[in-house]
Amino acid sequence: MDYARMKFYCDESRCIECDGCSVACAEAHELPVGISRRKVVTINEGIPGREMSTSIACMHCTDAPCEQVCPVDCFYIREDGIVLHDKDKCIGCGYCLYACPFGAPQFPRDGAFGAKGAMDKCTMCAGGPLETNSEKERHLYGQNRIAEGKVPVCAAMCSTKALLVGDAESVSNVFRARVMARGGKGSNSPYGWDKAYKNK
Amino acid sequence: MTNSLGDIQKSKAIIIFGANPAVNHPVGFQHFLKAKERNNSQLIVIDPRFTKSAAKADIYAQIRPGTDIPFMYGMLHLIFKNGWEDKEFITNRVYGMDKIREEALKWTPEVVADVTGVPAEKLIQITTIYAKNRPGTLIWAMGLTQHTIGTSNTRLAPILQLSLGNMGVAGGGCNILRGHDNVQGATDMGCLSDSLPGYYGLAAGSWKYFAKQWGVEYDYLVSQFKDASWMEKNGFTLARWWAGVAGVKNDEKIENAGTTLKALIVMGNGITSVAQQAKIKEGLDNLEMIVLADPFVNEAAILTDKKDNVFILPAATQFETSGLVVATNRSAQWRYKVVEPLYESKPDQDIMFELAKRLGFYEQYTTGMLMRETKDGKLEMIPEKKTFQWPEDATNEIARIIKTIGLTGWTAERVKKHTDNWHMFDEVTGAGMGPMKGEFYGLPWPCWTKKHGGSPNLYDISIPVSQGGMGFRNNFGLEREGVNLLAEKGSQPVGSKIDGGYPEITKENIEKVLGITLSEEEKAAMGANWKVDNSNLIVEKCIEAGVCPYGNAKARAIVWNFPDHIPLHREPLHSPRTDLAQKYPAYPDKPNHFRVLTKYISVQSAADYAKDFPINMVTGRLVNMNGAGVENRASKYLTALTPEMFCSIHPDLALRHGIRNGDMMWVHSPEGTKIKVKAKHSLTVLPDMVFMPFHFAGYFQGADRTGNFPAGTKPYANGESVNTVTNYGYDIITQIPETKGGLCRIEKA
Amino acid sequence: MRKYIYALIALLGLATVAFAATDSQIWGEMRIQNILGYGQEESLKLGPLFTMLQHKYFAWIFLAVLIGVPGAFFLHYKIIGPKVFPHSEKKYYAFNLYNRIVHQVAAVSFLVIIPTGFIIVFGDFFGGGTLVRMAKNLHGLFTIPFTIVVIPMALMWLKEALFNMDDIKWFMILGGYLSKEKKPILAGKFNAGQKMWYWVAILGGITMILSGAMMYFLDFKMEMLHNLTGMSQIDLLRAAAIIHNVMGFAVVALFITHVYMSMFAIKGAVHSIITGYVEEEEVKILHSTWYKKLKDQGKF
Repeated sequence: MDYARMKFYCDESRCIECDGCSVACAEAHELPVGISRRKVVTINEGIPGREMSTSIACMHCTDAPCEQVCPVDCFYIREDGIVLHDKDKCIGCGYCLYACPFGAPQFPRDGAFGAKGAMDKCTMCAGGPLETNSEKERHLYGQNRIAEGKVPVCAAMCSTKALLVGDAESVSNVFRARVMARGGKGSNSPYGWDKAYKNK
Repeated sequence: MTNSLGDIQKSKAIIIFGANPAVNHPVGFQHFLKAKERNNSQLIVIDPRFTKSAAKADIYAQIRPGTDIPFMYGMLHLIFKNGWEDKEFITNRVYGMDKIREEALKWTPEVVADVTGVPAEKLIQITTIYAKNRPGTLIWAMGLTQHTIGTSNTRLAPILQLSLGNMGVAGGGCNILRGHDNVQGATDMGCLSDSLPGYYGLAAGSWKYFAKQWGVEYDYLVSQFKDASWMEKNGFTLARWWAGVAGVKNDEKIENAGTTLKALIVMGNGITSVAQQAKIKEGLDNLEMIVLADPFVNEAAILTDKKDNVFILPAATQFETSGLVVATNRSAQWRYKVVEPLYESKPDQDIMFELAKRLGFYEQYTTGMLMRETKDGKLEMIPEKKTFQWPEDATNEIARIIKTIGLTGWTAERVKKHTDNWHMFDEVTGAGMGPMKGEFYGLPWPCWTKKHGGSPNLYDISIPVSQGGMGFRNNFGLEREGVNLLAEKGSQPVGSKIDGGYPEITKENIEKVLGITLSEEEKAAMGANWKVDNSNLIVEKCIEAGVCPYGNAKARAIVWNFPDHIPLHREPLHSPRTDLAQKYPAYPDKPNHFRVLTKYISVQSAADYAKDFPINMVTGRLVNMNGAGVENRASKYLTALTPEMFCSIHPDLALRHGIRNGDMMWVHSPEGTKIKVKAKHSLTVLPDMVFMPFHFAGYFQGADRTGNFPAGTKPYANGESVNTVTNYGYDIITQIPETKGGLCRIEKA
Repeated sequence: MRKYIYALIALLGLATVAFAATDSQIWGEMRIQNILGYGQEESLKLGPLFTMLQHKYFAWIFLAVLIGVPGAFFLHYKIIGPKVFPHSEKKYYAFNLYNRIVHQVAAVSFLVIIPTGFIIVFGDFFGGGTLVRMAKNLHGLFTIPFTIVVIPMALMWLKEALFNMDDIKWFMILGGYLSKEKKPILAGKFNAGQKMWYWVAILGGITMILSGAMMYFLDFKMEMLHNLTGMSQIDLLRAAAIIHNVMGFAVVALFITHVYMSMFAIKGAVHSIITGYVEEEEVKILHSTWYKKLKDQGKF
């Protein structure tokens, strides 16, 4: 109970669909164009009072469904809650995509006859199973900023600090302070609380 | 910007009028959001389309393009009617409000609703909230400026603030959002054809001052012009230079001393970001020489058919050079070089120095950087200094010369210190802490002396001049038609020796106004007035006495040297409401307007445009691109977000023309030009308007011109430039194009 | 004491301010009505369903099939033993070249598809990586020959595969395989067991092809499917995954059965699909109805 659990939170009262997060991620990890580890989604565009934008990537779930369904067991969940996977083990079957509620797994069309290559997803800038900060790790998984004590690049670049990342408790504190300052207006309930913890 | 971005967090009500900070200043938009969060501020957005900023607004009003003056008069009408105006402020510090009051009587909510399309209840709601939640700040950008009446728009907005007493207070002010970083700096340095740097104008006196400061003879400068009279005339503008090129078809008389433009040098500017692309192309085609200095291939090279004498010079980017930049809130920062110029690219200054060397005026060009003031108010060459240190010496030269806006305190050393210690300044007020105490971040001008800490909020009389306080400038005389133009008693900066208003300080009146006696040495060293005083004694004496060197006058609501003394509504040249165009007609045509004839009424009354071109056309920016998009469309990730030129169109309008989402469509302009773009169904626009971004180039009226790119320089995305179809229309004073108010006709491609 | 109670009330009050009042745009009542969340009411809940099935059950059920079905047949072989028929009698040409080629292609395909399918299911046992990836690629590759022959095979044996009254009686005695006797069994050219295998192989096979293709191509856009089912792309993929696995149980179980029957339970039966000739004694006992018909036609 003393361990930090790393989580993302996107405050949709502040998200303005500037796409700074998705571009920063693509640049920092030199992703091929078309693989969007992080996407910004806008719904109800043009409807006053209902337009809303939010930034979505892998949410690093505590009970990660992707990890549960993988036939080759290539996922591993770090002690701090970050969910990562081994691209060398991955066979590109797609099960993790079916299980994920957020559509985080992405597949490049790498192989012959359009076969799916190994899955790629947000790593919360924590690299992969290869040697930390090695060239190989950077090539396959992108930067390992967590190992250097740096903030994941999407939240670091967020124009309005809508996207928060860090220990779940710290993130909650930041968000709670905002909600209180707003006097309860705007978004005020964390993701899925009423769904995840609803008493049936 | 009279206040600052951080200061917005102190506002209780914010009106964003013709600006879109969520898209164009995404990081700065944090301050708006924090104002909402921390200060319970009401965010009001008034815009023809439901922008990303509008999505975060508490109240949103959809307004017909070009009808901002009726809306603001509608607000003033209600303010005066309900007695919400700040009577004391108006009496003491404003001249001519009565005329505004008179005009405002005509603009009842019902009339406003008819003209602007904003329902009466919404106007009342917005005005009530804005008037009852002070201080309120008014934000604007191109939405107000890019009209034929842009100058009137940007006068009525401050008048609105003056009526509510929102000027010169923290959380108030007119916070105009400048578009690119350092465009404020470019303005301050006079990169326009109607002034020397620092807003000194073009009078002979100013030329003589600069001649002295640059270490050259006045007559030498005169010899570079046809004669002295031409030195003092405005030049061409970016909007209409093409009219001065021989061979360009236009029926407009050019006042260019009987000659034509032969060559154009473009340094880092998007030629396609200005209206009337077809005419610009003609201008380019007919020039004798075009030089384009840019890190990426300027789209002008692609647009023109000219095959010879088109030169592309590789200019370095901002990362490969260093120097002073000025932010939208008038503050200075130092930009450091992080990498040496790549390949053969040269920083802009080196390009200009090389040009100056070959044209034979390099010495005259650079002498100013080898000079300094003497103790007795004169200028001298710095002994033993043979070469200048760029950019520090240039920065110090600017600080030495530009006194009109008080850049005296902007030495390279001070500015660097601020940038290096930006963590020592408060986010909201900019006030320094620890070693930086007493200074405001970036020393916002006016920064009167090398010890002054900058002036974060303009016109604030609640603080002494030494800490950034001041009244309104005395620039238009002491009285007019019997009415005192100076501030009334009781309205002066705190700590002022003088009670009430006073004129701008000159050598002649300083002893009388300040009630001091100068010594003989001081008299000898002192310059004629505070703007040309190398000794800076005038400024120092003023600050000692708590007096602002530029005077303490009333802000004037009447500008008697403008065509419209008070702002008046005039319909855009291409108005969808022909009946209103007759009721509120455009200006008379203006000859010799920056050397060209600018047509107004003759264009507006030439046809019933609304019949054949019934759709409003609004252009604007995208968050992932800027300017002509030359740089951004060469970045794969930015391009991937908006890979094609598009037109945002309401599904109702689109489907009436059989245009499905993703279909190609033609947009025709009254100029006779047309572009082929992809339709994007969107609810952010009304069914009587379309929106297009202006960041694309490479296609012209359906034709693909990207074959003109040198090998390997073609950007990832190319498309039509919307400025091929933006309509004719230019502001009466500044000649900025009317790209925010035009008409078009659409059809399925 | 009072102080603490006041503090508690204040704290609760503040907490409700933070979490009460207006709902979030996406997660509360205000949200978009037609995007159904992952596990919400009214959604098909295929996401959680797939996750649970794949996590807990699929691999185990496949293991049960892999061990149980051959295990059961092993016991059968030991206890009851194979049916042996002499090979000296007259033969009838039952399967022509076309039949046999089509069947062989399908057989070879199955012989690659099924083991590779198992390698994928038990991927972690094999350590993932290149081996399992290769298996996945072969699994998909050999779908192609099967796809080519499945319709021809369906058509060429359709008549013989239709169920009739004989099959009910056949099922009641389980084809006579539970006794060592050689009594004539009611069956046409194909007995009920073979017919069952036919339908599972054809219909099940086509289902496996389609669901497999959906998972392989991921971003197939079939308007028809969307309009028919009203399901979103991701839900269609999840359904495909579930169907592929469940159908897989049946196909694998019956495939093993078919192999046992044709290669072990009836000695020498496999030759009939290699040479095309069936034995008179075998037909007389195991396909008595067909034998009578052939006799009447003078084939025997």
